[in-house]
Amino acid sequence: MSNHLVPRSDVSEFRKRYRWIALSAFLAFGAVAVRLFQLQVVNGAEYAQTAHENVIRRVTMSTTRGIVRDAYGRILASSRPSFNVLIVPGRVMPSARPRKVSRSGSVLGRDPDSWPRIADTLRLNPDERTRLTARIKDGCVTDEDRSPCWRAILVREDLSRDIVAELKQHASEIPGVEVVSQPIRYYPYKHLASHTIGYTAEIDAETLAKFRPEGFQSANAEARQAMNPLGYDPGDVIGATGVERSWESYLRGQRGWEKRVVDARGRYRSGPEATRLLDSPSRQEPLSGRDLRLTLDIDLVQSIERAMRPHAAGSAVVVDVHTGRVLAMYSKPDFDPNDLSGGAGRDRIRESFNKLYTDSLRPMLDKTTSGAFQPGSTFKPFSALAALEDKIVDPMDRERCDGFLSFGRRIFHCSHVHGKVDMREAIAESCNVYFFKLAESVGMDRIAHIATEFGLGQKTGIGVNPESAGRIPTRGWYALRYKGQFRIGFTLNTSIGQGATTVTPLQLALAYGAMANGGTVFSPQLVRAVETADGSVVQDFAPRVKQKANVSPQHLARVNEALYAVVNDAKGTAYAVRDGALEVAGKTGTAQTGYVNTGGDDPKKAWYLARDHAWFAAYSPAKAPEIAVVVLVEHGGSGPTIAAPIAIQIIKEYHRLAASRQKPNARTSKERSTVPSEPPATRPAKPPLQAPAAGDRSLAPQEPVPLDPRTSPPQGGQEAPPSPSQLPQPAQENAP
Amino acid sequence: MKRRDQARFFGMPRDHFDWTLFLTASALAVVGVINLYSATSVSKAALSDIYIQQVYWLVLGGILGAIVAVIDYRHYERLGYVLYVVGIVLLLLVFILGKDIRGSSRWIQIGSFGFQPSEFMKLFMIIALAKYLHDDPKTDERALKDLLIPAALTAVPMVLILKQPDLGTALILSLIFATICLLTKIRWQSLVTLVVSGGIAAPLLWSYVLRDYQKQRVLVFLNPEANILGSGWHAHHARVAIGAGGWTGQGFMRGTQNQYLFLPDQHSDFPFAVFAEDWGFLGCCVLVALYAFLVLWAIRIAATAKDRFGAVLAIGVGSLIFWHAFFNLGMVTGILPVVGVTLPLFSAGGSSVLTIMIGIGLLMNVSMRRYYVSPGRTHGLLSNL
Repeated sequence: MSNHLVPRSDVSEFRKRYRWIALSAFLAFGAVAVRLFQLQVVNGAEYAQTAHENVIRRVTMSTTRGIVRDAYGRILASSRPSFNVLIVPGRVMPSARPRKVSRSGSVLGRDPDSWPRIADTLRLNPDERTRLTARIKDGCVTDEDRSPCWRAILVREDLSRDIVAELKQHASEIPGVEVVSQPIRYYPYKHLASHTIGYTAEIDAETLAKFRPEGFQSANAEARQAMNPLGYDPGDVIGATGVERSWESYLRGQRGWEKRVVDARGRYRSGPEATRLLDSPSRQEPLSGRDLRLTLDIDLVQSIERAMRPHAAGSAVVVDVHTGRVLAMYSKPDFDPNDLSGGAGRDRIRESFNKLYTDSLRPMLDKTTSGAFQPGSTFKPFSALAALEDKIVDPMDRERCDGFLSFGRRIFHCSHVHGKVDMREAIAESCNVYFFKLAESVGMDRIAHIATEFGLGQKTGIGVNPESAGRIPTRGWYALRYKGQFRIGFTLNTSIGQGATTVTPLQLALAYGAMANGGTVFSPQLVRAVETADGSVVQDFAPRVKQKANVSPQHLARVNEALYAVVNDAKGTAYAVRDGALEVAGKTGTAQTGYVNTGGDDPKKAWYLARDHAWFAAYSPAKAPEIAVVVLVEHGGSGPTIAAPIAIQIIKEYHRLAASRQKPNARTSKERSTVPSEPPATRPAKPPLQAPAAGDRSLAPQEPVPLDPRTSPPQGGQEAPPSPSQLPQPAQENAP
Repeated sequence: MKRRDQARFFGMPRDHFDWTLFLTASALAVVGVINLYSATSVSKAALSDIYIQQVYWLVLGGILGAIVAVIDYRHYERLGYVLYVVGIVLLLLVFILGKDIRGSSRWIQIGSFGFQPSEFMKLFMIIALAKYLHDDPKTDERALKDLLIPAALTAVPMVLILKQPDLGTALILSLIFATICLLTKIRWQSLVTLVVSGGIAAPLLWSYVLRDYQKQRVLVFLNPEANILGSGWHAHHARVAIGAGGWTGQGFMRGTQNQYLFLPDQHSDFPFAVFAEDWGFLGCCVLVALYAFLVLWAIRIAATAKDRFGAVLAIGVGSLIFWHAFFNLGMVTGILPVVGVTLPLFSAGGSSVLTIMIGIGLLMNVSMRRYYVSPGRTHGLLSNL
């Protein structure tokens, strides 16, 4: 056999290597197998989840923000649709994209640009046009799947309906344009009650970061819900001030969502294969926000606005003395929330903000609650009560007023020489000297005690906008402030509402309300009821008593009599402006501001700032009080001549409105049929939100949750925590 | 002994037809086409005919492979350097006629299809190396200078291919060379020198040869989750697709990563991810076992080859298949950086399919002719059938 075999060429050099090579190859594939085991079996579930999340997108369905109405059903804030235009750069300007070459080498044809036509239709000015053209070209340097070339950019906001119609009509000829409708907050009464109602704004980064802390995106659905109960996304609208902010959790509603199957390019896929991937629940219906019925009467606010027109700055409050309901609140200067709540476009909003925040009269500040001012003589009734309560002064005793009183080296002035006055006359004619003498024996702490009994120097708890507490100083306070050097002058100043004493107009209104109703201090109430979109009441809020002033009715009656004399006695400070048809009791105040031009202010400004604050605090009708009114005209001058006529005007208007509502059908055409004439307490309160489909647990909505998980939502009159970061700080008190 | 007995005992080449090799390769090709169908089913318009084209290429490759297998490989040995020069000329032609696709020119357009000379160069280089080692029998250990000419034979096409630039193919060439070197009895000092010089060359390669996009890929490999939306997109989504397969897979054509376009290059570089998503760990094991078996079988063919040329040729083709498969699987599963290396018989592409089919033809050739036949019948082109 061997003769048939030619010796093999020498392969012995290789012989020992095969085994090693084979082993290496085997191990290499083994490594791949191990890796596959790791990926597919060990971490398989995780990757399967990721793959699932890749194709499932939750498409949110927007909700409608609740409507805010006044007490008589007139809409103060609602939403209207606005149309925004978006363009996809790569589609409106195919010529900007890199040239495509086919395999055979020819340049692929492209659609013509639709951009010039779009720009014409939108009536863009040349500047905008160049800017956007540059942006499109920049975006389309590459046109790969995730390039900005395919990301829509916002071109115009709040288009007119004509342009929208034009765009829609020619939609097929101008590819790459998208018109999206977006609800925009709308305030039909514009400036009126703008501080109280507030405005909405796009959620800012800081607030958003609170709801979407780091790691939010990677958290599971439950954790996200806990972190961000109201489901804020970037670009969402949130209440910025006023009721819009404090009642955000009610007004906002809850966004619905629907799961859709998407591919890597963000296109929706349908069909049985896609549907198979949708896990339940695949849909949640949106829940629209709750409507609010405020206690305000916008007509009354309107009349205040009219009465205040001659003056640059000031505020007024009208409260119901038997419930603490706020019937009107007005702070001047005001602003138009429509300018701040979108619609007009970002640039316009920024401009409006700049203007509002640089104004030295501080239009963004709600002076009824955030502004603390020296009350001046409107404080005297409380000093008088303190004296009566402690039986230190006999109200019939007369004191002699020489127009001034000297204490040591200092002289304390009165408005003029009053001669001999008793307590009633001292209040009616606003004699300072009487109160200086009274204060000397009563002492500061007793006066402070009574003022505190009436709710002064404490936050009222209205729950809207940052609230100032004001200040009712005590000896202790002065001791701290002046390092033990207490002077009797402090007490004298306090007794006439000067010095360190400050109050907010709302506090004063509630305190006068308490004076009128026999000593009950109410928590102010701004929101009367929460309603569903169809008008049924979900929750209504009963008046809440804050405290009872511990004073004897006889003493209160004595002071009230004096307040009546202010307006109705011939010598009363407000007698000149009284309206014979109206029963009004009240007190004028002219508060020195203590302004000294040290900062080298412009003389015109200095003259303005040096003027006194004009006050008038009143209630009406005097014998059977319904409302308490406080008017403050900042740097208005004299209370009796400036503030009192405004207050009288407001009271007159109140009675006129009340009378017109008494007449049947006088206003019903304007009102909603469901307007409850009485507080709708008799209706059974329904749960805050009703499940749209009873029985389907998965669709059951969550209850609205407060903005800040640490605090409960604002209930009628309960104080809501304002976040001061966005808002101007309350006015600094004018320290003596 | 009469010739008939002799034929019965040793067999004619056609009697030694390597069914194992044939069936393994066929199984991979069939699974590959089925997988391509799933991979390209997503974009109905643009890619839908890719799997059909793949069938055409496989048929053409099968015919070419059969022809290559029929001709006694000793003729290739004779023509070894001629074929090599032809390959080099084709590579040079790329620079003149080349089509620029995605920043590199690798293609020569012939009629309506482009072909990639660098693919075929792999085979030409293997043949040239085999011829050199065949003609240079050694029994004592080789020093570095003994490998100088094989190194030069590798370096020339490598440089040309790096110029295109095509990092993946150049890498495969060098790895085939390295494998063949390891087959020889190389002195251990030489081996150390090689490894050390490689270590020195790597940073130089990094700073002077690698393009930015290639560096980016290596960086992505080192830190895979850094930039999922950008350069890490491929690697990330491939891994998700594979992982989502689980034990048994999502089912044929049901893998969402593929069907919803998250896998890029699903038909060229990432078909394995599609397969893994559809068929799961069990399917993957079968597939990897098939590749491993094919490679081991090639080594077996080399070990039983009757001469040095056949042995080196078989190891060369075996290493070609091995490195392609290993690099592609490694890249797709994330144990190696993303390098554009095709998966043999899985990736769509004419040149790649033809190269592999011809390579399998060469293996078959060596396998069929592992026995000696009578010297009188060794002449003539088809004498041994």
